Amino acid sequence: MNSTLDMFNSQSALSPAGVGAGATHDLTLIMTIAAAVIFVTVMGLIWAAWRNTATPRAWWIWTGGVVVPVVTLTALFIGSTLTLQALTQGDKDALVIEVTGNQFWWDVVYDPDTLALRDANEVFVPVGRPVTFRLASADVIHSFWVPSVAGKMDMIPGRVNELTVTATKAGRFRGQCAEFCGLSHPLMAFELVALPAEEFDIWLRDLEGEARDAATPALLDGRRVFLEAGCVACHEIRGVATGGRLGPDLTRVGARASLGAGMWRMNTGNLAGWIADVGDMKPGAQMPSYNHLSGPDLRNVAAWLESLQ
Amino acid sequence: MLVPTDPIHDPRQPHHPPDTGPGSWGKTLILAVLGTGAAVLVSIWALAWPGDDPLADAVASAHEVYLTYTAWLATDAISGTPDWQALALQIPQSDASRGPALMVAYGCGSCHVIPGVTGAVGTVGPSLAGIADRAYIAGIIGNTPGGLMGWLMNPTVHSPQTAMPDLGVSEGDARDMAAYLYTLGEAS
Repeated sequence: MNSTLDMFNSQSALSPAGVGAGATHDLTLIMTIAAAVIFVTVMGLIWAAWRNTATPRAWWIWTGGVVVPVVTLTALFIGSTLTLQALTQGDKDALVIEVTGNQFWWDVVYDPDTLALRDANEVFVPVGRPVTFRLASADVIHSFWVPSVAGKMDMIPGRVNELTVTATKAGRFRGQCAEFCGLSHPLMAFELVALPAEEFDIWLRDLEGEARDAATPALLDGRRVFLEAGCVACHEIRGVATGGRLGPDLTRVGARASLGAGMWRMNTGNLAGWIADVGDMKPGAQMPSYNHLSGPDLRNVAAWLESLQ
Repeated sequence: MLVPTDPIHDPRQPHHPPDTGPGSWGKTLILAVLGTGAAVLVSIWALAWPGDDPLADAVASAHEVYLTYTAWLATDAISGTPDWQALALQIPQSDASRGPALMVAYGCGSCHVIPGVTGAVGTVGPSLAGIADRAYIAGIIGNTPGGLMGWLMNPTVHSPQTAMPDLGVSEGDARDMAAYLYTLGEAS
């Protein structure tokens, strides 16, 4: 199913591209090496205790059973606490991005307190600048997880969790809902795009404003279909129809690299298939199938959505 | 009286030696020039081989038929005829192995079940399992390589009311996808 996987860099905590993921990665290495050293040491101690009957039994118990564990566990505890502190440190000047989990897609609002620019299923961040994700859920518990950039954080209904991350490398990274949230939970991914800071500023400015005008009669007809078929009840397209909040914002839908929350490539073919029978592609999705549209209507509305870039 | 019609062997005609044209050095020169010219032309042709070469396509196609026919003669000449139907579905210069990745890229699987293509479970359009054995494509075009490629490239031209969108498929991609589809016979 994961036909978009090859479009992303690895979805892996072992190739860190963010401050938090880097700290987690280092801690993992330290813990693994420490565990190996401790294992070898304990084996050595057992062997020594076996061979050496001269040393009193109490010495082994106090040294191997109390002193050594206290020293090593304290060292590892300090290390992990420092890492945790680095991970959870907020930043007042950070750009706020509000991400709300829905079954089975992500609502994304940049700078919700002032600009409030809405997009969906893709999160753009600047490289080298801290970003605070304000994570919420509109229905059940989801979890926001981009292994290459940051640790995961649950999205809990009625609660806002904050997660500050700083991307260190430009690139496209796959994120995934990490808390079982329903039938299509495995099909709830997204893309985190880390852009160099200047490019991000330009990108954010371009997000403002209305959707692109329909340029050909077929695209105009597609817009008519969109308005008449009732899509606007759930989807917002700035400049065409506002207010729909039950589904993802489609103002720039054609500009996304993927369709269906990071699952399929964005193109007219997949859009048409999605509209005609969403249940095939994403079982349990809230969107109904629009298989009553005539052939040309379906083609035109798909082509129009694809043109919104 | 019987008149011989061949003037050369007519004993009544005076014998002329045949016209030899240029001297032997001249002949050598002409041959050398022609040979060099041919070599240059072949080199240019070989170096600047056109990417899309209809002549090579035609030759390859004919060669394929020739190979199959000779193979049939050599091994199986007693029982029946060569599988002309399978031969007719061969698409020269195609690479069927590119088919599945192309179909993922164009998003075919959101509407069609396609064996061997990742995530192709759509039920919007017909399943493409066994398409090699169908007589018609979309109920309107004969199922030939050209017909299938034409459909893949411009479905709306063939069937204005179709729900299948034009996906901007290039001829090369259509060739590879059609070649892949023709591997999907009854067994698929």
